Amino acid sequence: MHNYIFLISILLVTYYMVIVKRLPALISGFRLQSFLLFLITASFAFYEKEAALYIVAVLILFLKVILIPNFLKGISRKIQVNENLGLFLNPQLSIVVVLILTYLSYLFTFKVMTFTDKMQSATFALTLCIVLTGLFIMIFRLKAITQIVGLLVMENGLFLLAVTMCKGMPFLVEMSIFLDVFISVIILGIFVYRINALFTHIDVNKLSNLRG
Amino acid sequence: MANIFDLHLGFILDGLSLFFLSAILLISAPAAVYSLGYLKGHFPKGKIIYNWVLFILFVISMLLVVTVNNALAFLISWELMSLISYFLVVFDEKSEKSVSAGTTYVVMTHIGTAFITAAFLILYKHAGSFDFSILKTAASSLSSTAKTLVFIFLLIGFGTKAGIVPLHIWLPQAHPQAPSHISSLMSGVMIKTAIYGIIRFIIFILGVGSLWWGNLVLVLAAVSCVVGVIYALMEHDLKKLLAYHSVENIGIILLGVAASMIFLKVNLPVLAVFSLAAGLYHLINHAIFKGLLFLCAGSVYNATGTRDIEKLGGLIKKMPYTSAAFLVGAMAISALPPLNGFVSEWLTLQAFFQGALSSTSGMKVFLSISAAALALTSGLAAACFVKAFGITFLAQPRSNKAVEAKEVSFSMKLSMCFLSVLTFVFGLCAAVIFKILVSVSKSALGLEALNADFSLNNFSLAIDNNTFVSLPLVALILIVSAAASIIVIFILYGKRKTRRYNTWDCGYYRLDARNEYSATAFSKPFRIAFSFFLLPYKKTEKIRESFYHVKTFKYETFTTPVFGKYIYAPLLGVVLGIARFMRRLQPGSIHLYISYIFVTIIALIIFMKAF
Repeated sequence: MHNYIFLISILLVTYYMVIVKRLPALISGFRLQSFLLFLITASFAFYEKEAALYIVAVLILFLKVILIPNFLKGISRKIQVNENLGLFLNPQLSIVVVLILTYLSYLFTFKVMTFTDKMQSATFALTLCIVLTGLFIMIFRLKAITQIVGLLVMENGLFLLAVTMCKGMPFLVEMSIFLDVFISVIILGIFVYRINALFTHIDVNKLSNLRG
Repeated sequence: MANIFDLHLGFILDGLSLFFLSAILLISAPAAVYSLGYLKGHFPKGKIIYNWVLFILFVISMLLVVTVNNALAFLISWELMSLISYFLVVFDEKSEKSVSAGTTYVVMTHIGTAFITAAFLILYKHAGSFDFSILKTAASSLSSTAKTLVFIFLLIGFGTKAGIVPLHIWLPQAHPQAPSHISSLMSGVMIKTAIYGIIRFIIFILGVGSLWWGNLVLVLAAVSCVVGVIYALMEHDLKKLLAYHSVENIGIILLGVAASMIFLKVNLPVLAVFSLAAGLYHLINHAIFKGLLFLCAGSVYNATGTRDIEKLGGLIKKMPYTSAAFLVGAMAISALPPLNGFVSEWLTLQAFFQGALSSTSGMKVFLSISAAALALTSGLAAACFVKAFGITFLAQPRSNKAVEAKEVSFSMKLSMCFLSVLTFVFGLCAAVIFKILVSVSKSALGLEALNADFSLNNFSLAIDNNTFVSLPLVALILIVSAAASIIVIFILYGKRKTRRYNTWDCGYYRLDARNEYSATAFSKPFRIAFSFFLLPYKKTEKIRESFYHVKTFKYETFTTPVFGKYIYAPLLGVVLGIARFMRRLQPGSIHLYISYIFVTIIALIIFMKAF
């Protein structure tokens, strides 16, 4: 039962991330989403009695709740970028689109994937929706940092899928994914820093005039 | 159905493969020795090592192409061969010409490979295996439409590599740009692997489906012969000229192969064996004399730094060995007895005559016309080499580069000498070699049991025994007429006092190189005779001081590259147009790129829901 609560809260946090207008709020949203992910993983570890999942949960707490959001906030403070996200689509329309996406992923789950367990199909639809929302954030927000956050949201969605559907991936795979995510965030952060140093903005939309 | 990756890798070493294997090794050895002297001093040391690595890989890949017994392995080694030869074409990567020639080559060869791959996949779908023996049994139960499709694909695929007109466009660009020992390998043996492919896959595995296959190949071959040699006549770049002759000679080889396909279908198995053997004979002969000629051309280039024959001349005094070797090669390619070119062209002509004699109405005319095309080709080739040899080696030097030429190093002379000797060996030992080739041809056609032991001395091939032309008779006539002409000359002129004088001086004492006959002038009659095809045009430029006094006069003559202008340029235009249109998909916006992914996912979800 408590899992339902966690899952629904994750969905709500994801919606929240779609309607925010400022960068710090977006990063906080991500922090909150990761924290919920940590809770779900920990509860799975508790009920399934999997020692490896505990370690994974601790890593989530350490990396995604503390380290990465702090790093992103640090960067955005350092490059003194305008806090506005720069929206292609205003919050009202965005939330409508994301609701449609949620509906689509539910349709997909119930028509195509044939789960016997209701809990499982709900979880699948939800994770699919989170992944699509991550993509949505990457497309409809202007700043380079939002692209990183969008990517992380997608990653969170996939992670949630792995934990809830198959009790997590093999331990080694989890570890390497963590490493990948961490390193890619650092690299992307450096890129954002360099882009800003070079062009005095991190507006991805304006990068198109680099094309030869 | 067998797993694709479950490769039963093995080698096929029947007569056909062994024949190609020996042909490759026979040309690679002198080319390797030649490169020792050729590269020294012209390239830095690292570059020479790079050349050796590529050279060895190139030879190995060609050997693999002709010996593997699996279509997938064949494709891999075929692709390997194409790629390595591309790197060899752009060996001199600083020259812009090399790079553009390499691009043309790599594009054309990959179009060819795409067609071959498609043909193999059709066969694979039917057979469930890539193994040659399984493909062969499966091909017999293939529907006639599929069979035709496979044939067309294979013909385009291998035709691109072989350089059949109109797919020859890369050949005169790529061959001259590679270092000369590589040109000799590429022209001598690499394009022959395509003939191997045609024999192995179309005749041996697929089996000749219907008569028109043979007719089509025959027409293409005849066109390649004539077009190749006409372009060669117009060419004044020594290596390009030789490359066009490769187009011509591939045509002659294919004449034999195509005739064999036709004879198989009209139920003349003896003649089929005979003409395929003749084609194979010309194949090895062309490998030898074209290898030789490219090495000679390389020597000339090495000594003078130019390949433009209009700037050469008088080299026979400076480079006697190279000149002698080139002369031997030129005589062989012009099919003069007793050299090897004569034997195989004569055999091919024989096959056509016999075929014409033993077939009816339409086929009779068709085969006769093909024979006439071969004869015309042969004559034009002789004319072309009179030009190439005469302008390059005789008369007075036309530029300082030619004046300063020096004979090349020992290793280069050795290779050229070796190949020159081979042209004599393959001409004089024709009886023995032809016997071997007949057995190769029998195994390739699957007619091992056929009782057809013809030798050159006892030419008992004829269906109608009264009508054949026998070699001893021809030889006798030639010997008698040669002897007679010598005697007549001796009687008429007797012993003469020799007088040494300036070359081409005509009794006038101050002619210089500018008064000499030029290659353009030499080829002018042919330019006029074939003007319907070459579409020559000229540009004149006069600068007058007054009406009566022309200060400078410039005259240039060109021929229209028909295939480039009317086939390839429009085709390229279409492709570029489509590419330009598709480029709108890429405006450079990262958001748009991500949304492509997004839209695809959504479309897939909706698509899945629909089913």
